[in-house]
Amino acid sequence: MRLIVSADTHLGSPIRSAALRNPLLGEGLKQASLDTFRGIVDLAISEDADALVLAGDIFDNDFPDLKSRAFLITQLARAADAGVSSVLIRGNHDALIDHAVHGDLGLDIHLLHKGNPSVEISGVMFHGLSFDKNHVADSFLPDYPAPVAGRTNVGLMHTSLGGSPGHDPYAPCSEQDLFAHGYDIWCLGHIHMPFERTSGSMVAIMPGIPQPRHYGERFGGSVAVVTLGDGAPQVARRDVGHLRFVEAKLDLTECVDQSDVLDVIGAALKDAQDSVHVTAARLQVITARHTAEDIHALATELLEGIDRVFLDKVKASPPPNLNNDHVDDLSRLMREEAQEAGFQQASAEVLEELRGVLPPTVRDVLSADVLTELLDDAINEVSLSLHGMDVE
Amino acid sequence: MRLNRLDLTRYGRFKDAQITMPKPQGDASDVTLIYGPNEAGKSTAFTAYLEVLFGMKARDHPYDFRFKRSDLLVGAELEFPTHGPMVVQRNGKKTQSLLDDQGRPIDDTFLSAALHGLGRDDYVERFSLNDEGLRQGGARIAAAQGDLGQLLHAGVSGLTTIAATLDQMTARADRFHKKGGRGTSLKVAKDRLTEIGQQLRAARLTPDRDRALVAAKDKAQAVFDAADSTLGTARLREAACQAAQVWFDRTEDIRLIDMKLAEFPEGPDLRKGAAEAVARLVAIMSEKSLRMTEAAENLEKLTKIIDDNPVDPLADVLADELAQLDRHLIDGAPLLARAATAASDLGKRIKDRDELGAQIDQILTALDMADVPVASSVLTSRELEDLALAAQAVVTCQNDAVTTADAVAFAQDQQGDAPAEPQDLSHLQTTWDAWPAVADISATEATAASETARLANAVAGLPATWKDLIDAGLPARETLADVSRSLATTVAELATAQAESEKQGTTYALAQAKRQADEATPAAIDATATAQTRRARDATWAAHRNGLSTETATAFETAMHVDDDAQASFAAGADARGQLATARRDEAAALVLRDSAQDRLDRATETHREVTAQSAALASALGLAPETSPTAFTERHTALSQAAEIAAKSSNATAGFNAQSARRSAALADMALASKAVGIECADSDLPSRIQAALTLQESVRQTWARWTRAQETITALKVKADHATSQKDAADQTLAALTHALPLAGRTAADIINALPTLRNLGQLQAEHDKLSLRIEALENAIAQLDGSAQRIMAMSGEGYDPDVSSLTIIEQARSRVTSAERTTLRRTEAQERHADATNARKLAESAITIAQDELADWFKGQGAEDATPTARIALLSERDVLRNARNTHETTRDSARAAVKTDLFEDELGVLPDASRAAAVQQLLDDAQEARDLALGAHREAIRVHQEAFDADDRSDLATEQATILEEIRAEAQHAAVARLGVLAAKGALRRLASERRTTMLRDVENAFVAITAPAWSSVDVWSQSEGEKLVGVQPDGSVVPVEMMSTGTMGQLYFALRVAGYRTFARDFGPLPMILDDIMETFDDVRAKAALQLCSDIGRSGQAIIFTHHAHLVDLARDTISGVNIVEMPR
Repeated sequence: MRLIVSADTHLGSPIRSAALRNPLLGEGLKQASLDTFRGIVDLAISEDADALVLAGDIFDNDFPDLKSRAFLITQLARAADAGVSSVLIRGNHDALIDHAVHGDLGLDIHLLHKGNPSVEISGVMFHGLSFDKNHVADSFLPDYPAPVAGRTNVGLMHTSLGGSPGHDPYAPCSEQDLFAHGYDIWCLGHIHMPFERTSGSMVAIMPGIPQPRHYGERFGGSVAVVTLGDGAPQVARRDVGHLRFVEAKLDLTECVDQSDVLDVIGAALKDAQDSVHVTAARLQVITARHTAEDIHALATELLEGIDRVFLDKVKASPPPNLNNDHVDDLSRLMREEAQEAGFQQASAEVLEELRGVLPPTVRDVLSADVLTELLDDAINEVSLSLHGMDVE
Repeated sequence: MRLNRLDLTRYGRFKDAQITMPKPQGDASDVTLIYGPNEAGKSTAFTAYLEVLFGMKARDHPYDFRFKRSDLLVGAELEFPTHGPMVVQRNGKKTQSLLDDQGRPIDDTFLSAALHGLGRDDYVERFSLNDEGLRQGGARIAAAQGDLGQLLHAGVSGLTTIAATLDQMTARADRFHKKGGRGTSLKVAKDRLTEIGQQLRAARLTPDRDRALVAAKDKAQAVFDAADSTLGTARLREAACQAAQVWFDRTEDIRLIDMKLAEFPEGPDLRKGAAEAVARLVAIMSEKSLRMTEAAENLEKLTKIIDDNPVDPLADVLADELAQLDRHLIDGAPLLARAATAASDLGKRIKDRDELGAQIDQILTALDMADVPVASSVLTSRELEDLALAAQAVVTCQNDAVTTADAVAFAQDQQGDAPAEPQDLSHLQTTWDAWPAVADISATEATAASETARLANAVAGLPATWKDLIDAGLPARETLADVSRSLATTVAELATAQAESEKQGTTYALAQAKRQADEATPAAIDATATAQTRRARDATWAAHRNGLSTETATAFETAMHVDDDAQASFAAGADARGQLATARRDEAAALVLRDSAQDRLDRATETHREVTAQSAALASALGLAPETSPTAFTERHTALSQAAEIAAKSSNATAGFNAQSARRSAALADMALASKAVGIECADSDLPSRIQAALTLQESVRQTWARWTRAQETITALKVKADHATSQKDAADQTLAALTHALPLAGRTAADIINALPTLRNLGQLQAEHDKLSLRIEALENAIAQLDGSAQRIMAMSGEGYDPDVSSLTIIEQARSRVTSAERTTLRRTEAQERHADATNARKLAESAITIAQDELADWFKGQGAEDATPTARIALLSERDVLRNARNTHETTRDSARAAVKTDLFEDELGVLPDASRAAAVQQLLDDAQEARDLALGAHREAIRVHQEAFDADDRSDLATEQATILEEIRAEAQHAAVARLGVLAAKGALRRLASERRTTMLRDVENAFVAITAPAWSSVDVWSQSEGEKLVGVQPDGSVVPVEMMSTGTMGQLYFALRVAGYRTFARDFGPLPMILDDIMETFDDVRAKAALQLCSDIGRSGQAIIFTHHAHLVDLARDTISGVNIVEMPR
């Protein structure tokens, strides 16, 4: 038996990158989540899979639209017509597939939940429980059915596993407990970074988000293909994302003139190029005299000659080993000033004023927690701008 | 740090050049003025100094035009406070480019520490100043508005854009967001987000929205169902009302019709079409009677016409004569038509012909051809055209011949002597093209040396035979691991086997002893032994019975006792026998185990011996003692492998170097040979430059030669053209002569012929017209004779005599009138005869039709009353009767149908209220109200369905969601930038206030001294004003008046900037120790007084550290000598 395992498709949720300000890219990727899902179904059909497993967060609560549900049904029906059954559970974003409200999804599309936690497909048992509300703080594991003896048992669970600092736990569950439950395979969802864990012949798969929506999800972009046979399940990865995010680090400190700078930036951008995917590159630049704005302008110009690479963001920072504050009065005194209580009060007020006028969804960018980091950037920015402008 | 000397070893145009900066003597200021004219290489020297300190530019080096970048080498003698003087060099390598005077690499951190961590750009900003920098600095610090912190910062750092930087950062933050700002990017973005939010809300079908839409749809459906039902009831009521009214009205109509029918005649209903048939028959009879009357009158009139138009006997013969005359044509027109004008026309034509003859004679006389017959003088248009072309060709060819001859003469005058012919430098070019690839061998040389050194390092700890070991082939690393692992395994196995063997030996010995002990026990005897004792007893008994002797008796007794004991022991020894059997099994098992352990020990011993031998062999292969433990193999193997690898690389590098050297020599030899072939002979070192020059000039020489050659080819072509024009002219002359040979024009020139051509063309035309007129005159004369003949024949036919005084035309016209009159008479008579026959026939037909109509009429009225009435009145009466009968039937049918079509109860209700004039309106009103209510409900329901469907069918607005996300990302990024900018400005302003406070004590006096020194006597001091926004520097003039910095002139501002830089230099020198300050022609635009003051400031720098002044102004040299005591004057090397 062959399974295609995915999760966290977040249908309808857009890509968040300044790179999409490019009209061609924006137009091409406006339906990236839907296009990627369509690609997953194509893959399931072309791989002659027996089942497509979706471990929750198929939709996105921030983008609720019944048209997305219609899209899901159309695609899964297409898979069913080709002989691929679908098994899915609801994650914390999936009110749109609440069977109690909206009804069943169709033939050979199995939504597993407390009232219907198991289904058998070609002799393999699939077990899963769905979120009935947006947040569940307790483990689902005790409610999962016991494994059926003599059968391969596949579990679907949407869980934050052990959790991570700063993030709420969602149906938390330890990996040890999962493996102890006795299923052969766990198909997990919720964590967007893909990984696999094994214990003996058992395997737990976190397929990750199939289409990264921003730089923070840059490790996603694939689904898992699981082959069940004699022995331990075999897991392979297939790229399905249309856009990938990459980090490009470059160092301009050795550049003597603009020509050198252009060469280094151009080389980094070309390195980011991929023959298949469109790439949004985030430049992490070490420089003593270029602002992010300067580099952004140069990179934008260079990108006109480089296909399929777009600029996500530029971050400029001074060389980490640069320590000439003793001869640079301004940098030294700015750092001293930044330690003053009065200055910190004034800084907090500046930050609060700006924060207050931002749309609520982005206010976190100027939270008090980041003041120290912003101050550091501010001192660097003055220095970079000053040197950069004087060079002109 | 002090720069004692700059070495331009291979750099730019310099080779082995030096610039020495001697140390000052005594208390003299450390100032070196380096003089050199423009293009002497001052900028080159400054760049070289920077590259000594900070390394060479990685790509596109500006000074690698004489030496390749890989060959560039600069150096300096630098004097450090802690180390004293030291020579350093810098080459173009990417790493280890800083060398000592012996060419050994030095760590760059050494220089970096001496430069206090300053980078190249930092150094240039702080320790160099040129004229442009001075002017720009002066202009830029104006933006500081006198802010003391900003000005002192400019002095210390050399950075002059702090004000502009802070302004830009503030502007950037303001562009994102500013209180009350309308066009800020944040405002624009938020507005757009609001729009997008509205559009997305409209486009998204959320579950809540879907629920609301479905509920609205269901509600509208219910309302519609109710309204539809009401409308149905209203419609039935309205139909019943109408039916009752119909019933009521038709019943009344029937009663009235019955009353009228009583007054009409009896009889069956008229057959269908009776009225029309009767009317038709009456009309036929009337019309036919009229036709009979008209026919009688007509017959009488036609008889009279026939009598009035008799036959003309001469008409046919006259018509034949006239027809014959009409067939005769003249000039394409009938003879008669032209006869009227022929007489007068004839005279005019004869006169015209004579005048043309006179003109022809005049022309022939004018052409001097009076004696030539006219026919010979007249040429055809083709002949005239050929003649004109030939004459014109003669004239054109003459002109061409003259023009081309002139062009040849002019071109020959313009063409000078032939220049030098270019040589073929292609071979030289080929050899030159190959040169750059092999010219530079330093890299391979360095690589070879480096690899050799690495090899020496690598083999330091190896035996002298390392190379032999490598050549013999090193064992595979896996083999070493296998043997090591095998040895460890076999040692362990051997120990285990030995222990096991000893253990099993002991076990066996114990088992053997136990078995022997058990066997020794009598009770352990077994059945076999008892059988043997019994057989022995029986045998002795048999022997005794046969012998019956004492011996046999004793033997039998003994055997009997033994057997009895054995039988007794056997009977009592079951346990002992079991114990013995166990002991024997244990012994056998122990024996097997002992033998197995011995085998294992033997195998382990053999394996250990073999593996030890392998280990010894490997140790030897690695150059180790045979007994060396395999654990040491890996390290030695690695060392030997690395040595082998490095040896291979070293060998390759050396071979590469040798090969490249050989290629370089070969390329140089090729170039020398190629050069010699084109006349270039010089030393090998000069060869590349000579070849480059020759190749550079070859294009110019080639172009000059090509231009001259092209001009020569042009002259040749012109000559060919001139010859061709001459031959063309001769051919044209011959052609003209051939054409005029047979004409009376022979001997005339082409120009004469061209002049005579119009006259000749005119002569031809005149002669043609003359001939045409002659022919016409002859035709007119013939026509007149024919006309007269015809007139005479006509007169003879009519029997009248011919009168010559009567015009022939008159006679002919009279005859034509007679013929025409006869034709008309015949026509009228014939027509009257035909019509007479027709009228007779029509009268007979009318009589017959009337009879038939009367019979049919009687049939239609069969069985009907009112016989006395005329057919028309009778049929009208009967028809009216039948109409009434039909109306009555219709009313009955209508009435029944109306009642059958509606509900009976409602019909009875409605009939019961009739007659009621307002009932129908009341019922209609009910119906209209119900219809309106239903229409409204239907509309509302359809709208609810449409809205729900529209929500499902709404366009996908992923584009909006994407734009929304993109805008939020942009806001996120811009908000960070804006916050960084605001915080940066806040921090910078605070830092500048601190700077002013921190540095004012130490720097302000230096600034004042320098400013006053360079501007005296215009300014006497500087002062500081404290203001709410910070401290502000102002200038004080000798009269005590105070001028803010921003009010100073541009020149003064530049001088203030210089003063700040001098003070900044002194501050740095005090804090960290001096570094050389490079001043590049800063006094270029100063007059002597200001220049002298500036030099004085340079002297101040020299007192704190080292000042190096570049200039190309000779007068500044003298001025410096006068101003700065002990100044060093150095000339740029040539």
